[in-house]
Amino acid sequence: MQEAEILFENIEFLLIAGVVIVLAYLALEHRDIVYAAFFFGFMATGVAGIFILLEAPFVAGLQIAIYTGGITALIIFGVLLIPRAQDSTLEVLHSPRMRKVGLVLSISVVVISALIALLFPWQESIPPEHIPLSQSLEGLAEWLWGTHAVYLEIIAMLLFVGLVGSVAIIRMEKEEQLRPRTEDFSLPIPEESEPESATSGMPVLEARDVKEEKEVE
Amino acid sequence: MVPLSWYMVLALILIGMGAYGMVSKRNLIRILISAEIMANGVNIALIALALYGPFFTFTAQALVILVIAVAAAETALAMVLMLLYHRRYRTVDLGIPVTRTEEVS
Repeated sequence: MQEAEILFENIEFLLIAGVVIVLAYLALEHRDIVYAAFFFGFMATGVAGIFILLEAPFVAGLQIAIYTGGITALIIFGVLLIPRAQDSTLEVLHSPRMRKVGLVLSISVVVISALIALLFPWQESIPPEHIPLSQSLEGLAEWLWGTHAVYLEIIAMLLFVGLVGSVAIIRMEKEEQLRPRTEDFSLPIPEESEPESATSGMPVLEARDVKEEKEVE
Repeated sequence: MVPLSWYMVLALILIGMGAYGMVSKRNLIRILISAEIMANGVNIALIALALYGPFFTFTAQALVILVIAVAAAETALAMVLMLLYHRRYRTVDLGIPVTRTEEVS
């Protein structure tokens, strides 16, 4: 009976792992970047299945909520906001030599980490005692909220700083865009950007008007 | 139970695919997706090692929660930076701006 269970678990793992690897490959190599983002989301769901096999249900829930729900949606929003993001002809390095260098680099990463991971004695012989899922969740909650509450505050601070930083960077760029056109440019502005500068704010026009007035005087 | 080495091999494959994508792709969004794939591989390795280790602690799961939160913040920030990049160079391709900088400024 127990052997059948072990066999079943192994088959589960192999199926999920195969799906994850195929989806990761599609996320990297699919021509359309929107499809790539979707494949990445499905791959994150497969990884959540592996977390459930590893007795970490809370992490699996987080994985689905944040990776599949949040990050994939964010990437798709980014693709929609950036008009020329889908240019598929520009994706891979032009020369095949650079591609080979990339392959060699990534294979060396795999080999080095494989040496570390598989040759190091991780005490695989010790059979871990089986932890029921509910107990695992309760233990994690106790660990997080009891003795290590600072940890959650660090995560909250990090997310908050990320949010504020994103907004701050976007605003900074807007101000930066206004400045060089009023002060630094003595060259005539090309016609294409005329309507943009007219809509982007009054300071450009005001500065020009002041200069013209001075010249008249 | 599934042997630990299987999980490690899966994590390694994911990390390797992410590394290949980060090195060989030029589209910034594709590079971001590669980074996320690498983070997923690292998460699998962390949780598997915690479960199969000599004594079980929740440190690895908490660490994975931190990694997921960092990945979310990183994606938001990367998207903002990508938008700025696109505003400046009118593309998200890494190879082009070198030749275009003179035109823009």
